[in-house]
Amino acid sequence: MSKRKVKDQQLTVGQCVCQVHRILRERFCFQKLPSAPVGLESQHKHLLELLKRTAIHGESNSVLIVGPRGAGKTMLLKSVLNELLDVKEVKSNILLVQLNGLLQTDDRIALKEITRQLNLENVVGDKVFGSFAENLAFLLEALKKGDRSSSRPVLFTLDEFDLFTHHKNQTLLYNLFDISQSAQTPVAVVGLTCRVDVLELLEKRVKSRFSHRQIQALSPMDFPQYVELVQQQLSLPQEFPDGRFAHEWNNSVKALCEDKSVEDVLRKHFNLSKDFRSLHMLLFLALSCVTPSNPTIKPSLLLEASRLCTMDCKANMLHGLSILELCLIIAMKHLNDHYQDEPFNFEMVYNEFKKFLQRKSHSVHSFEKPVVIKAFEHLQQLELIRPVDGSASRTQKEYQLMKLLLDHTQVMEALQRYPQCPTDVKQWATSAFG
Amino acid sequence: MSRYFTRLKMKRCYKWGGRPSLCNRKFKSCYYEYVVLCKPDCNKGKWAEVQWFVHFSEVPYNRRKLLGRTPHPQEIFLYEDRTCDGEIDAETIIGSVEVEHLPPDASFPETGQKGTLYFKLCWDTKAFKVVDAEGRHLDDKTPLVSVSVAPTTRVLPTPDATVMKRALSVTLSRVSASAGKLAASEVESGHSASKLSASKFLSRRRRGSCDSTPGVRKKLDLNSEFLISVLLFCTHRAEELPEVSEQTDITPRSKRKSARLVSSRIRKQLNLLNAGEDQVFEDDSGDECFVPSKKDAGSTSEDEESGQAESEDEGISVKKRRLAASCRTPRSSRKAPASARTPHKSSSKKPRTPRHATPGIPSRSLPARKPGNVLEEARARLHVSSVPDSLPCREQEFQDIYSFVESKIVGGNGGCMYISGVPGTGKTATVHEVIRCLQHASEQDELPSFRFIEINGMKMTDPHQAYVQILQKLTNQKATADHAAALLEKRFSNPAPQKETTVLLVDELDLLWTKKQNVMYNLFDWPTRRYARLVVLAIANTMDLPERIMINRVASRLGLTRMSFQPYSFKQLQQIITSRLNQVKAFEEDAVQLVSRKVAALSGDARRCLDICRRATEICEHSSSRQPGSGLVGMAHVMEALDEMFSSSYISAIRCASTQEQLFLRAVIAEFRRLGLEEATFQQVFVQHRALCRMEGLQPISVSEGLAVCQRLGTSRILLLEPSRLDLLLRVRLNVSQDDVLYALKED
Repeated sequence: MSKRKVKDQQLTVGQCVCQVHRILRERFCFQKLPSAPVGLESQHKHLLELLKRTAIHGESNSVLIVGPRGAGKTMLLKSVLNELLDVKEVKSNILLVQLNGLLQTDDRIALKEITRQLNLENVVGDKVFGSFAENLAFLLEALKKGDRSSSRPVLFTLDEFDLFTHHKNQTLLYNLFDISQSAQTPVAVVGLTCRVDVLELLEKRVKSRFSHRQIQALSPMDFPQYVELVQQQLSLPQEFPDGRFAHEWNNSVKALCEDKSVEDVLRKHFNLSKDFRSLHMLLFLALSCVTPSNPTIKPSLLLEASRLCTMDCKANMLHGLSILELCLIIAMKHLNDHYQDEPFNFEMVYNEFKKFLQRKSHSVHSFEKPVVIKAFEHLQQLELIRPVDGSASRTQKEYQLMKLLLDHTQVMEALQRYPQCPTDVKQWATSAFG
Repeated sequence: MSRYFTRLKMKRCYKWGGRPSLCNRKFKSCYYEYVVLCKPDCNKGKWAEVQWFVHFSEVPYNRRKLLGRTPHPQEIFLYEDRTCDGEIDAETIIGSVEVEHLPPDASFPETGQKGTLYFKLCWDTKAFKVVDAEGRHLDDKTPLVSVSVAPTTRVLPTPDATVMKRALSVTLSRVSASAGKLAASEVESGHSASKLSASKFLSRRRRGSCDSTPGVRKKLDLNSEFLISVLLFCTHRAEELPEVSEQTDITPRSKRKSARLVSSRIRKQLNLLNAGEDQVFEDDSGDECFVPSKKDAGSTSEDEESGQAESEDEGISVKKRRLAASCRTPRSSRKAPASARTPHKSSSKKPRTPRHATPGIPSRSLPARKPGNVLEEARARLHVSSVPDSLPCREQEFQDIYSFVESKIVGGNGGCMYISGVPGTGKTATVHEVIRCLQHASEQDELPSFRFIEINGMKMTDPHQAYVQILQKLTNQKATADHAAALLEKRFSNPAPQKETTVLLVDELDLLWTKKQNVMYNLFDWPTRRYARLVVLAIANTMDLPERIMINRVASRLGLTRMSFQPYSFKQLQQIITSRLNQVKAFEEDAVQLVSRKVAALSGDARRCLDICRRATEICEHSSSRQPGSGLVGMAHVMEALDEMFSSSYISAIRCASTQEQLFLRAVIAEFRRLGLEEATFQQVFVQHRALCRMEGLQPISVSEGLAVCQRLGTSRILLLEPSRLDLLLRVRLNVSQDDVLYALKED
């Protein structure tokens, strides 16, 4: 009996952990919008009012949302749209057109997409007919026919706005902004971009027609807020089926955030970047180690996740090299030291390597030159070294000038961790003279 | 009655001018062709020579007012068109009607016989003319037989109940008379008649006649074709004959296919009919069948109709029409191809572009809300899109352009004018205002009428599209660019009577630049032609555009009539805002002045000025909801709006960057100073960065992380980076001045 009871309990823990995974993954993978934008309240209000005015009063507007990657621009827009479409007066009125600079790479595609999304009359099924010129004329005619009070407002969202500025003559942007500044169908043009200098990309007439409204998606967040955010992101909601488990989980999360080592990890991350995506990455890695047998997030998990996140990829690559290749890298490092980062060629490296073999080496055998060349080429394939610009293929392979794409610290760090690295190689690396 | 009988059997001849044996049998359909019967030709057998008449409703809408009076309901017009067939199949003749010729000045008899039709004038597809009675060989009273000729058309008669009744009464009585064969087809007629609004009447008749000829039913299927064609024939319009024959040549295949398809469908329907005749008459869909849309009645051109063929209503009627086509008697083969021409249009199911799609945005379900308070009112007025009553501060320019265009219109010659000015100085608005005034003047008959056409270099995909757009706006024709250029060339170089002056506004002229500059060349060359009567107003941003980008022959044709719009001064901007607000008290005086001074100092762009004012009203609304103030837009609000729009976003972006990003920027500056250059590689900067980390007591970051930080700054364009995988050798430059970076970093 008691045995069975225990088994039941374990099962519930398993289910609970399953639930935790589901809820938190939804959060971290951006499937679910947060209920309120964090740190962007005023921007949220501004945008919401602006779009509401378009929908309700038929006032044309244009606005740009500018912010670094991962600052929550799309989240801001999406949550505003969600809220906007909840208003009944708006929902039945507004037409939505969503474009992305990465998908609509020129005006022709963009126009077809707009016509398709607006469901205008020259759309049959899913296809838009007519030439580019006809489409443009048709769309402009359609938008011109409307007026402020009678036709439905159209909301254009242009994701990756800066890419639209590279279209020929900026025709699309000119026309959209021109409509927004003339008595035609009311439109709201919302652009999202991560480029701060986006206004300088606009051509002067396009710029003049743009209303110069910019919403900066920048949150002046400080560290305590960041920690609070982490805690909030990890906490389980009230609606969690198992109240006791949720309580325990939330307590453990709270304890986690107060832990000293965790704070260090978080501070390091915070210093590196404030964006949500990298934070989610970190938490996600930690979360994936949570199992029924280990049903809480422990500081060690977070430390491990942080280590994975901040790992240096180049140094990791060095671990997979052979001793010969490693020796060549060390030779290059010495050459760099000697000649102040001047480029080198294979012969110089080979020479340096031979000197090492003659003087100090006990464990490394002498290799034939073709073998060394092969190793050298492998390094080039791994992009640990790259040829200097301009010294093209005309020169013989052995004399082609190269540069090392590794920092000294990376080389040394890799040597420390290299499994069973011969001591004479290590010594050679650390010695000041080659 | 006997007359029909005999005629059908080809035994009796009709004499011209002969009295009808039965005067009370009249036939009237709405789109009749009336026929004067004459010599029945033995060789031809079934052909009768006819003369055509049209009803007033047949006359195209736009010509109707040529009559100059309202037509008498029983008036018809002699139809004179050489393209019409003078001969028809006698089989298709339905009945007779009396037609009386009246002298042009005589009035219509009030108490004329109900079925008698009168004609005074003839209609030759262009104008009404007086009929010369002798030439027509018409007696005062001529018995006419209403005839159905060439079977169907896309144009349907209006469901004139009385007409149809009569028509059917004729048919039916004939049917009963001719017994056997014809009576059989009567059921069929009932079917098609059910499509008419007179269906009830018919049903009564039909049943009656059916009862009278009970043995007939069997033959239904065999003869069912005949009457349908006859009935539908009355819908024919004379004008269509020529077109029809053309059409048949074009698409014989599809027609036949669809016809076959439809005929099988029709057969099915007919079988159904035989089973339950009464059902037929409850069939409502039939009613729509003969209800033409308004357009239908008036349309004459091929194009219009083909577009309509897609509409739902027509779909049905077309189906019925196909029925006629498929069921036609072999004897009436001459008209058959025509009847089949509609199906090929509607039967094609594959999606294609609607040629006449009308552009339009759906209208909103709820009305737009009106501005509620003073601030909202002010905001609506300040929106760039709202058209002001007058354009202040551009009086001089307005006057110049006005007099230029006016003189050209009055003089009937052409000319060019080049207008330049930075964006937002009211160039396009002023020209539009001029045109509005001129149009008003020409409406008042103070000026000869003229046409205004506008093209915009930004609103076309290719400079050569300019021709297409001009041609389309001028003549509503569509053509390719080359063809359009040729047509325009012809139009502007050939003399034409009563040509009105065309005023062409070319906005964003610089985008019409091509390598050979032929578009620009043509635009400025046409006005110099003797008969062109074209005035070109070209607008662009740069003052020296003619000198800079135009080759000599283009610049020379553009001429020296130039005008340049200066940026607005702060006084003018102030005046613009005040005039726009127009007594709506929403702004403090100082606030308006601040905005206008600031904008005038920066660009003199009126759009900017209005946008800032609009934003300021929003800010004011915000703050007043928090703390009630005067309700007016004050200095503070304007300052905030100005800050938002003009302040550099770089500084706020740097301030909100993460610690490592800020450190990296500092390292970049330190490295620049060390090198004395404005450029460094990532490797060099990273050394500095690590040193700075140590100084700040932060844990040094790895190269990967450092590179990530650098790239992040690069995507927001605070740093400029090379776009390749250069890794450590990546060259780094600052996109902001060093002072700005230091200023932004100092405050923390």
